[in-house]
Amino acid sequence: MAMAALRREGRRFTSPLISPRPITDVRSSLISEDEAPSGVRSISTQVVRNRMKSVKNIQKITKAMKMVAASKLRAIQVRTENSRGLWQPFTALLGDTPSVDIKKNVIVTISSDKGLCGGINSTSVKISKAIYKLNSGPDKENKYVILGEKAKAQLIRDSKKDIEVSITELQKHPLNYTQVSVIADDILKNVEFDALRIVFNKFQSVVSFLPTMATVLSPEVVERESESVGKLGDLDSYEIEGGDTKGEILQNLTEFQFSCVLFNAILENACSEQGARMSAMDSSSRNAGEMLDRLTLTYNRTRQASITTELIEIISGASALEG
Amino acid sequence: MTLNLCVLTPNRIVWDSEVKEIILSTNSGQIGVLPNHAPIATAVDIGILRIRFNDQWLTMALMGGFARIGNNEIIVLVNDAEKSSDIDPQEAQQTLEIAEAGLRKAESKRQTIEANLALRRARTRVEVLNVIS
Repeated sequence: MAMAALRREGRRFTSPLISPRPITDVRSSLISEDEAPSGVRSISTQVVRNRMKSVKNIQKITKAMKMVAASKLRAIQVRTENSRGLWQPFTALLGDTPSVDIKKNVIVTISSDKGLCGGINSTSVKISKAIYKLNSGPDKENKYVILGEKAKAQLIRDSKKDIEVSITELQKHPLNYTQVSVIADDILKNVEFDALRIVFNKFQSVVSFLPTMATVLSPEVVERESESVGKLGDLDSYEIEGGDTKGEILQNLTEFQFSCVLFNAILENACSEQGARMSAMDSSSRNAGEMLDRLTLTYNRTRQASITTELIEIISGASALEG
Repeated sequence: MTLNLCVLTPNRIVWDSEVKEIILSTNSGQIGVLPNHAPIATAVDIGILRIRFNDQWLTMALMGGFARIGNNEIIVLVNDAEKSSDIDPQEAQQTLEIAEAGLRKAESKRQTIEANLALRRARTRVEVLNVIS
């Protein structure tokens, strides 16, 4: 938004020239303006001053956005770390096996609703598309479930028919487990799957966000895998109690696993979003500062040039009168 | 040889230390777990978890989840858990009354089921307080 506004201003600024110049060439465009034979006067200080004012405002806004993102990050980070312990037992029991061969694949992409958060949404979408491609074949089918506006906007363009459910405005109310379990319930009811792949950005630190994929297998696949000697063979060494059949317990277990993993994924993605927004706003404040410096130099040069021109006119006028 | 107990909820870790024995309530009744128990994975119902710790019994209200027991390690994952020391008796009693009223008012099947669940949760919290005192 900020950069687009600046670009628009730049185009207005350089319109007298024959060919458009990019925004960073402010100085060189001014010099060629002075030498242009079309009789255009040098830029007035008013124009430069207006630009400086708008750049300064943008800098203030982006600095404020960075502070807001930093405070939101602090709040969510604590909860994210607490929720990380939750899905580890599931992985220990059921294994995280992205390589199991399955027919129906559902890709759950988690993204943010608001923009200006760096490249995290694009990486999530890229990975979702890559998973889609990896898992395409004669028998197999893939579907998307989308959480968040940004991924919806990007995926709706080319994969419209493959989107099953899309949920937006997650962050309107503070995130809690009950809400996420309702969403998970919704997804499980409406979508048939053999495996759910949840794509999100894991929050490593304030400057690093790793795109991650978590896999949740459906109960039938878990049973099938645990009976064959694969990685889930450990499951059978546990006796299952409570409930009537092993199948019913497994189904409860996978639903619970899905909602826990989804909760953790949504929190991590929210953290990464705030962190990415912080660093994006920080770099745009810095860019605005640099642009302001360059504009100040231009302003001074323009001002001195106009003073010199006036002096020359006065002096030549005076000497014409005398001589 | 002591058991290591870990009680986790989505929001925080409620308990993470060694205990001597626990009594867990599952769908098929209450089970007691001593050190060197056989490995089992079970569903945990809405009910009371009792922990024997330093020769004292501690009670906690659990709101449904799963437990995995193996190798002297117990991991309990629940939707929510509250220690008896964290529950206010007055408030628990009020919640119970509200839940009972809710059950009486419930009309559709879904509301009845939800009201039943709320009632069980409220009742568990009140019971936890009564067990110790």
